Amino acid sequence: MMRLYREFKPWLALLVRRRQRFLIGSLLVWVTLIAGLSLLGLSGWFITACALAGIALAAGLPSSLDIYVPGGGIRFFALLRTVARYIERLYNHNTVLTLLADLRFRVFGYLTRLDDASLRRRRASDWLSRLTADIDTLDNFYLRLLIPPLVALLCAMAVSAFIAVWLPSIAILVGVVLGLLWLLLTFGCAWGGFANSHQQVSDQSTLRHLVVDQVQASAELMSYQTSDWHRHKIVLQEKRSAANQRRLAHKAALGNAAVSCITGALVLAVLWFASVAFVDGQVSGPILVMVILIVLGVNEVFSVLPAGFTKLGASYAAVQRLNAIPHTNAEGAPELLFSEGRQGGSSITLNQVSFCYPQMLENVLNGISFSLPAGQKVVITGVSGAGKSTLAQLIMGRITPTTGEVSVAGCTPSRVLPESRAQHFALLSQQIDLFDGTLAENLRIANPQASDEQLWVALAQVALSSWAHRQPQQLNTPVGEKGQQLSGGQARRVALARLLLRNPAVVILDEPFAGIDAQTAKHIAGSLRQWLANKTGIYLIHQIDDESLLPGVEFFGHLAEGQLITDTDMRHEVN
Amino acid sequence: MRGITEPMPHGFQRDMVTITPRRWLKLLAQRERSRLAGAALCGIIAGMLTVAVVVGLAWVVDQLIVQGRATAELALLFLGLALVIGLRALFQWGQEALSAEASLRIRQEARAELLSKVAMLGPVWLTQRQSGALATQAVEHIEALDGYFARFHPQLRIVVALPLFIACVVVGLDYLVAIFLLLSAPLIPVFMALVGIGAERLNRDQFTAVARLSAHFVDRVRGMTTLQLFGHTKAAQQDVWYATDHYRRLSMRTLRLAFLSSAVLEFFASVAIAVVAMYVGFGLLGYIEYGPSPSLTLFTGLAVLLLAPEFFQPLRTLSQHYHDRAAALGAAESIVAILNEPSIIPRNIPEPQTANAVCELSDVAIGYPGRQPVLQAVNVTLLKGDVVAITGESGSGKSSLLALMAGFMAPTSGVYRRQRVKGAWLDQTPCLVQGSLADNLRLANPEVGEEAMKDALQRAGLGGLLAALPNGLESTIGERGVGLSGGQAQRLALARIYLSTAPLLLLDEPTANLDTSTEKLVIQALLEWVQEGRTLVVATHHPAIVSVADRHLVCRGERLEEVLL
Repeated sequence: MMRLYREFKPWLALLVRRRQRFLIGSLLVWVTLIAGLSLLGLSGWFITACALAGIALAAGLPSSLDIYVPGGGIRFFALLRTVARYIERLYNHNTVLTLLADLRFRVFGYLTRLDDASLRRRRASDWLSRLTADIDTLDNFYLRLLIPPLVALLCAMAVSAFIAVWLPSIAILVGVVLGLLWLLLTFGCAWGGFANSHQQVSDQSTLRHLVVDQVQASAELMSYQTSDWHRHKIVLQEKRSAANQRRLAHKAALGNAAVSCITGALVLAVLWFASVAFVDGQVSGPILVMVILIVLGVNEVFSVLPAGFTKLGASYAAVQRLNAIPHTNAEGAPELLFSEGRQGGSSITLNQVSFCYPQMLENVLNGISFSLPAGQKVVITGVSGAGKSTLAQLIMGRITPTTGEVSVAGCTPSRVLPESRAQHFALLSQQIDLFDGTLAENLRIANPQASDEQLWVALAQVALSSWAHRQPQQLNTPVGEKGQQLSGGQARRVALARLLLRNPAVVILDEPFAGIDAQTAKHIAGSLRQWLANKTGIYLIHQIDDESLLPGVEFFGHLAEGQLITDTDMRHEVN
Repeated sequence: MRGITEPMPHGFQRDMVTITPRRWLKLLAQRERSRLAGAALCGIIAGMLTVAVVVGLAWVVDQLIVQGRATAELALLFLGLALVIGLRALFQWGQEALSAEASLRIRQEARAELLSKVAMLGPVWLTQRQSGALATQAVEHIEALDGYFARFHPQLRIVVALPLFIACVVVGLDYLVAIFLLLSAPLIPVFMALVGIGAERLNRDQFTAVARLSAHFVDRVRGMTTLQLFGHTKAAQQDVWYATDHYRRLSMRTLRLAFLSSAVLEFFASVAIAVVAMYVGFGLLGYIEYGPSPSLTLFTGLAVLLLAPEFFQPLRTLSQHYHDRAAALGAAESIVAILNEPSIIPRNIPEPQTANAVCELSDVAIGYPGRQPVLQAVNVTLLKGDVVAITGESGSGKSSLLALMAGFMAPTSGVYRRQRVKGAWLDQTPCLVQGSLADNLRLANPEVGEEAMKDALQRAGLGGLLAALPNGLESTIGERGVGLSGGQAQRLALARIYLSTAPLLLLDEPTANLDTSTEKLVIQALLEWVQEGRTLVVATHHPAIVSVADRHLVCRGERLEEVLL
């Protein structure tokens, strides 16, 4: 119970920040429901009073009944229920969407602090789609698990208080029964369905992984003729999951049946005791009918609870996963700053650096030592997976070495503030991220203050300006999600242009010419020569095809099996 | 001699029937017809029992207040009502349990259908797809059918039967009220359309708005590395909030209209109560001299008052479940798109005609619909024990040829024959499945024992890994466990081949992207398999592998040529 509260607490706190909206939203739901109950109760009162007056009149007895006030009341409540329902739905949906913005803002904040190793591990899986689903689950929390129980409790209290005006003892009965029913439907349903709904989430994720395997390994499974064997695994998992879902569905159905049974029995009990009071003359006929009809209508208030609360376990699973994102840096907070306005680049020294990714048994890099004077250029070759990107991340301080030391301009880069690191380094990563937006928006990520002229210059440097001029929307050309509107080579060039808008001290280019034709590559190499003139430069490439594309390179290295072989003479061999 | 033995032309077998999402949902519902009908029947009976309860209550109230009977005299009636309430709860439970069961079974069958189809589409088709997206279709989208079958479908039957029954009961009580309700009955389809259009629109707009929003969020998260590199994370975080808030304002505009439809329904339910209450009240006072009004009693008046909202209740429930239908249709659309894909896997592959041949290609052409043929007029017979190297530039059709030999696709023309034997498959990106190291090995041979696995790992150069793993063969590997490097994964794929008895090995660039020591190991393994007398077909660039081969085929300009050694 405490654990449950601990996990939910940070998110509930976020919801509570909008407590005014929450209270108004609940109040609107409450008004809607109370208007419905009042409509039914008043109508019952009215027709009973009319019936009694009618009988009296028929018997020739004097009888007077004000039909205008109750008639007006009935019309008022009928209208109020409709209007309140409409406003309530609008208002609460507005709140839900506002909360969604809050939730995304917070989760995104967590993610900005993730280091590269965690980001890479997460990108590989279906973590991202799960993340958005988890945020949505938490968002639904508001309409399914926060408002209904509060409103149900308020309604139960209002109904008991109203009845207490005439029949205090029956009001106590109603209050106690509805209170117990409330406990049963919230805590009881949550407790009953918790394990099952929690299990359902992990069942689905297991099933998902099995399906991904079936798809990804389809060539192997088909060749080895083991498809049926693997399909059987899926069927078994489905059976397990179905048994669990069946139990959950039965429990939810039991909750609903309990609402109908208990509220029904309550109506009968109230009718029984109230009729005794009626015979004793404690209460009039119209009031009796009104009380009965209000109690009859109260089941609508409770019927939404079981569906929400039996699935509390699923919400808990979502919250657990969101909480699993590290919120703070494990190691001491970075506090260093690189000196600003450094001209001529920075020196880089690696001393016996090894790195092992979490959950890997072998080091990617093994005791690498290497030193690059400020302003020099180096090219490091190696097959994919040899550790080139890891090396770049280490130099930039985005990951810390398992053993050994990295030093850039005399600082340990991982202890430098991220903002200062972003100023100091520029990296063209192997995987290009372009955002769903215009060309200009994507370029201005590098330099929000850049003028249109500066953007055009950068585009010209990567030989994209004539292409951009041909586009009808010029700088406002949409580049699409993941840059799908552009070819691979074009996307890489946009990413390069983005770098050229900055003035870093150290530049790392991971496969800068991949997917770019030879002539364009030459043009870009020329631009790079100028831009890199007073910067330290590191080229990471698969193999050297054309050394003229690597202007000013003095140092050469080759990464293989975790070792770096440096050789300044290698250039002569290439030549 | 072709004559009568000519097999059926098996190109891309196009299943001529394409199926619509609605039709598919209907077919699925038919498989669980009886349970769904049972659920609807339970719902209708529960509704009838509700009618009995309210009529009974009205009767008791009338007896107490107007007829002046003592409470104790009515004890039996109270008991009867309690029984009816219990029965109603039972039928409500029955409705939910039955429809949940139907939905469970339907989802299992739908998933089986989808997975079978995916199997028929085969690895060639799957390479063009994201496995994550397919998994979403097979898991989340199938689960999205739940609400439709568990709630909407039975309710659709209830909404027809129950109001009719209530109207009949009301006729017996007071035909003017019945006329009032029935007059609104022709309006019900209008409401339904209204609700439907409103809800459909609401759903569509919400779906697109939410999808765009999620896309924006996912887009920024995916590019987190870049945002970090440019020190742009704070601005992007603000951006996430503003984007969501902007969509909020947009969607509120459409919601304002969309919620009107449910308000209309709410309005009619409220107005029905109000109108009936006023009519009954005035009738009882004797103000209305018309029709059945003079004979109104508290019993009939109270009964029709309570039945009026019940008349609209099924429709209100239906409108609450309307989004289930929209969600199911959306999911069905994405699944049906796959079910309608033409199958790529050949239905059956005939046996070779030449003695001792493992596979035979006569006059085979390979291609993909809507594209230039990859290879044409291929005539090759591979004999048992052949070691064949296939070379050619990238894109020349080496991989397609291997895929054809593996049975992953049918030739567009000509005949491919192959012995009915197991094959082994190895490509550049060996697949690791979720689970233990042993699970990954069993993929090649589920019956194999522990010793054989250890031996195979040793031969594939993974003895060191096995020793380093905490739980040996049972250690979880891959995403959720110990990560393997590219080289280790390739060695694991080699171990699979050692475990398998497959006589035909098809290898697609097995040495690409490997470090030198793993590369050596692969070539070593190839030599061992040759020694074992297995038939090898290797698409490769590697000169060392070509030199091991005893036959050399070259893909060049849509043709396959044999280089005579």
